[in-house]
Amino acid sequence: MKLLHLLTLSTALVLTACGDTDSKTADDNNAAETKPAFLSTYVPQPSKTTFIQNARIINGVSSDVSTGHLLLVDGKISAIGSDISAPDGATTIDAGGKFVTPGIIDIHSHLGNYPTPSVNAHGDGNEVTSPITSEVWAEHGVWPQDPGFDEALEGGVTTLHILPGSANLFGGRGVTLRNVASRTVQGMKLPDAPYTLKMACGENPKRVYANRGGPGSRMGNVAGYRKNWIKATEYKKKRDKGGDDFKRDLQLETLADVLDGKILIQMHCYRADEMVQILDIAKEFDYKITTFHHAIESYKIGDILAENDTCSAMWADWYGFKMEAYDTIRENIPFVHAAGACAMIHSDDEKGIQRLNQEVAKAWADGNRAGLNISKAEAWKWLSTNPAKALGILDETGTLETGKRADLVIWSDDPFSTYARPEQVYIDGAVMFDKAAGIKPKSDFKLGYGGTQ
Amino acid sequence: MLKRLTTALLLTAALTAPAYAQTMLIKDANVAMPSGVQSDTDVLIIDGRINDIATNITAPNGVEVINADGQWVTPGVIAPFSRLGLVDIGGEDATNDITAGSAPTSVSERAADSFNPRAVAIANTRRRGVTHALISPDASGDSIFSGTGSIIDLSGDFDSIKTEAAFVHVVLGETGARRAGGSRAAAMTQLRSAISDAKAYRTRYNAPTDGDALPRRDALALVPVVNGYMPLMVTANRAIDILNVIKLKKQYDLDIIILGAAEGWQVADQLAAANMKVIIDPHDNLPVSFEAVESRLDNVVLLDAAGVDYAIANISTLGVQKAAAITQHAGNAVGNGLSWDKAFKAISETPANWFGLDNSTLRVGSTANLVVWDGDPLLVTSAPTHMILDGEAQSLESRQTALRDRYFPLSDNTRPHKYR
Repeated sequence: MKLLHLLTLSTALVLTACGDTDSKTADDNNAAETKPAFLSTYVPQPSKTTFIQNARIINGVSSDVSTGHLLLVDGKISAIGSDISAPDGATTIDAGGKFVTPGIIDIHSHLGNYPTPSVNAHGDGNEVTSPITSEVWAEHGVWPQDPGFDEALEGGVTTLHILPGSANLFGGRGVTLRNVASRTVQGMKLPDAPYTLKMACGENPKRVYANRGGPGSRMGNVAGYRKNWIKATEYKKKRDKGGDDFKRDLQLETLADVLDGKILIQMHCYRADEMVQILDIAKEFDYKITTFHHAIESYKIGDILAENDTCSAMWADWYGFKMEAYDTIRENIPFVHAAGACAMIHSDDEKGIQRLNQEVAKAWADGNRAGLNISKAEAWKWLSTNPAKALGILDETGTLETGKRADLVIWSDDPFSTYARPEQVYIDGAVMFDKAAGIKPKSDFKLGYGGTQ
Repeated sequence: MLKRLTTALLLTAALTAPAYAQTMLIKDANVAMPSGVQSDTDVLIIDGRINDIATNITAPNGVEVINADGQWVTPGVIAPFSRLGLVDIGGEDATNDITAGSAPTSVSERAADSFNPRAVAIANTRRRGVTHALISPDASGDSIFSGTGSIIDLSGDFDSIKTEAAFVHVVLGETGARRAGGSRAAAMTQLRSAISDAKAYRTRYNAPTDGDALPRRDALALVPVVNGYMPLMVTANRAIDILNVIKLKKQYDLDIIILGAAEGWQVADQLAAANMKVIIDPHDNLPVSFEAVESRLDNVVLLDAAGVDYAIANISTLGVQKAAAITQHAGNAVGNGLSWDKAFKAISETPANWFGLDNSTLRVGSTANLVVWDGDPLLVTSAPTHMILDGEAQSLESRQTALRDRYFPLSDNTRPHKYR
């Protein structure tokens, strides 16, 4: 099990390193240096020095559950272990043997950009006007008053990644949000989190654009990716060189940032054979596929994904809605994990995001039933550690380790039980949800209505 | 070649339930009885019938003994609403018989005529403990009527339709309004006119198209509903829409099942007083639409407290896989405050009683319809180890388990996967 930790850590390093390799020239020589836009204005809620004692701790790193205490100071995890005590003036919470876990991170959500109520006016999640829309940003379609954020918080989700939809080959930029109450999306953005680029394989782009100029086949999809990477490579050269000839292009800027390693690719892809072709395109143009999303057939190529250090974000049991989603097995996540590749759960759904712990519990149980031997603490990585890694934010959150943001959940019961509920959810050390105390954010939309409070 | 053939035959055998009357003794289980869960209890099944349920039953000679050792035995789960066997792949029209937007028919379209017991979703759902399901088409075109629903078992056998015409499904609310031309008023007019067509069926039709809302064949299919022999299942979520359906029930003396009832908690007392049956989804808590804007997570708990007759289903998104997750939805009802016994009843005995399905509880003398689980069946971590349906042992293998076994990551088989 220790070996597995080392693997996880080293792959995390590779990922970070990859972000730095080629960017030097761009940063130093870019004559067309542009002003950063839409900067995060997130400020953590005020927090108290908090001592959570007598917890059963799943920390997202170890394969074992430990018992001990956590000390939260200034929104960070200041100490964790069995031999620490509460400093004077700390607020002490007696967990009484209850489970404490990292906050859940959903790498694939459309909260805010396909919000509830799902009326026509709210369909801001996909710019379905061209197969190439790398110039659009998911955050510009995010409505911070989506009531789904508040219910996801009650389900233990502390960070989430909002992506554009999958109609396009290049769908646009995704954004990583803290699940916090804010009047603006800027107020939710995790400061300095890398942007991502949503791309899509397979049936969706070729279906949507078949009668609108293409692509109309998987061949057309691949040609579309390659043509645009050629453009992006040329654009990057010009940008690196700088000078008066260089003209800024929003569409190519995103792609060039991918080539510079600043933007991580989150790619919707179902079929195993198709994923491997995509990995070849990434090699051809020297960029990296960080994560395949949905990844119904990742279990068929776990070894190849491990070699390429590419993660898979998966459902536990969805299948059958289209041909490329026909080969789902309930053991997909544990099989990918057992092959040594990075595996995680994702929701892609405003209801599923409320109980991702249950989705992981399904996959964990069926994986072990099939003959694997994965501990619950190990499986927890599918909920926070691996999504944090795939979003490039593992140095900030995703595990309960000293110095990291104090994003955590105190559960009423074993979080692998369907009956368990988050009792308290902390973000940056502040209590954002407290079941017993009735602390929960409420969207403007819900005002004046009954229903879930 | 011979080996391949043998493998193929074996696989076919595994996927097709080897049907024989089951004889077995299950020892020391948590047994879900109508009166509640009994621990350390044995269940003896002889020739497909439950012979005894007691503590310390001695195994008759030669009987297979399953040491359940704290595992669970329950009646088979019944999915009160599904599309099982009506579709292979949602997005592929040729495989999808859920709707018929171009057909001139509505009420008279029977799910049973589209049903395929060999659809892979059947075996995939069976291995999650579901033995029976209601299946229904969905409304399309300009009709608010989906058609006539059926009841099936999940044996995968060609004779697995239990009731061909079990209920008629109609859609009100936002979807019904859209189908009827744009408003709730238009939908209610279509529904009342259709009821009137069926009531006046003997006198109204000189020509097949003489009805106010329905052509002759569809009016005929609605006759059992207006005569009160067959339930009318009505999709409705907004509280006032539900109250309007209650009025309709009183006016025409119909047997009505509300499907959805997201805002049912607001009219729980009225639902109880009118003896309405309700199918709800305990995961419905978001204002997904303006007709469900006052949804809440404890809807089921509030309906239960008011004495409403309810079943639990996975309604929200009816992909082919959804019926398999019904135990999770019932489990979350427990997590939100419903008792275990009530939650399980809502996915077994209650829908069975509505449709006169026999053997939906564990009783001595009844034909065995039961599932042995390796843990509490309402936990997502549990799964069936054995299933007996109508007295016969069922396979818990499916296309999914075949894929699973082919791609097991710790396998030492180095041959190409297609040979495994």
